[in-house]
Amino acid sequence: MSVYVVQEVAYRSLHDLDFRARLLEAPADALAGEALEPAERDALLAGDIATLHEMGAHEFLLAHFARVGAFGLDPPTFSERIRASTRPMSSDF
Amino acid sequence: MARVVAGFNVPHTPYLPVTVPKGDTLNGGLFEQTRELLEASRPDAVVIFDDDHVNTFFLDNLPTFAVGFADAMSGPNDEAPLPTREVPIHADLGRAIYTHGIRSGFDLARTEKLTVDHSIMVPLHFLMPEKLVPVVPFFINCLVPPFPSAGRAHAVGKMVGEAVEAFPEDLRVAVIASGSINHEVAGPRVLPGEIWNAPDPGWLEEVVAWLEAGQVEEIVEHATDERLDAVGNVAHELLTIIAMLGAIGDQPLRIVGKDTRLGHCFTAWSADA
Repeated sequence: MSVYVVQEVAYRSLHDLDFRARLLEAPADALAGEALEPAERDALLAGDIATLHEMGAHEFLLAHFARVGAFGLDPPTFSERIRASTRPMSSDF
Repeated sequence: MARVVAGFNVPHTPYLPVTVPKGDTLNGGLFEQTRELLEASRPDAVVIFDDDHVNTFFLDNLPTFAVGFADAMSGPNDEAPLPTREVPIHADLGRAIYTHGIRSGFDLARTEKLTVDHSIMVPLHFLMPEKLVPVVPFFINCLVPPFPSAGRAHAVGKMVGEAVEAFPEDLRVAVIASGSINHEVAGPRVLPGEIWNAPDPGWLEEVVAWLEAGQVEEIVEHATDERLDAVGNVAHELLTIIAMLGAIGDQPLRIVGKDTRLGHCFTAWSADA
């Protein structure tokens, strides 16, 4: 999994206001047309930031969900969940 | 001919435009002092070494180095809490830097249509609150690995300085680096309940000492991926400062001040001092 689509969903949650509105209104429906792996979709809908980060999604992009209030996330919840990520910080690609 | 007349480094923490008016006198005062120094340098144009936070560019096409030279750019494009502004770009200087870079062996990207995020708009908010001097945004990828090396960032900064000096118009050019030194944002090392941290205060002290002493080789030698990864997920923003040092000819910097809590400093150099 490249998690590209996860990161694109995160980017659009900030930059595409129509998409954001749909994401906040009906998250599963908003994601229905996205080419996500089942595990990615499940983690997104659960607001499982640690898993998404461990899959390789960039934390800066994931943080958009907390800023816009998607998937039940707010900054304190995001903080708790990103702190649970076991992915080491590395400049290795 | 154009000249590099001043160099600065400031943070771009997006909440400073909110917290400064509410009583953050430390950062408010340091921005004010830096603004006065920038004004005293009487720049005709400003080059900003900046790390876009995956807002101007996305993973579909993410440059390591890029120069912007539209007629203008607007921002912030990331809903950072500060007013939206239209910023004039010195397109001729931007194009000259781009061309000089390509001809000097730097495979730069370019953008002639762009919006920018808080990493450019916060410094401009404080340093040019009213009249905006035309800007050239120079983007360095500091947030999405793999990153350019410190040596490469220094070389690209030196190239920018040479490009300015080769520009035929009689311009005074200031160079601003935008970024923090000891900082984590939205990563696993954030403080409980917060989305930030300054995990390694000792690194800020080390870097500030090197900047003040003009020990650029020390900075470049120590600013490895391994060391910066250990500091924080935003620590590669030091590359913007390293590029600025290259552009101003590795001058010792005046330490205007620092905020050890947030992990950043304010520095200045003037050719006229």
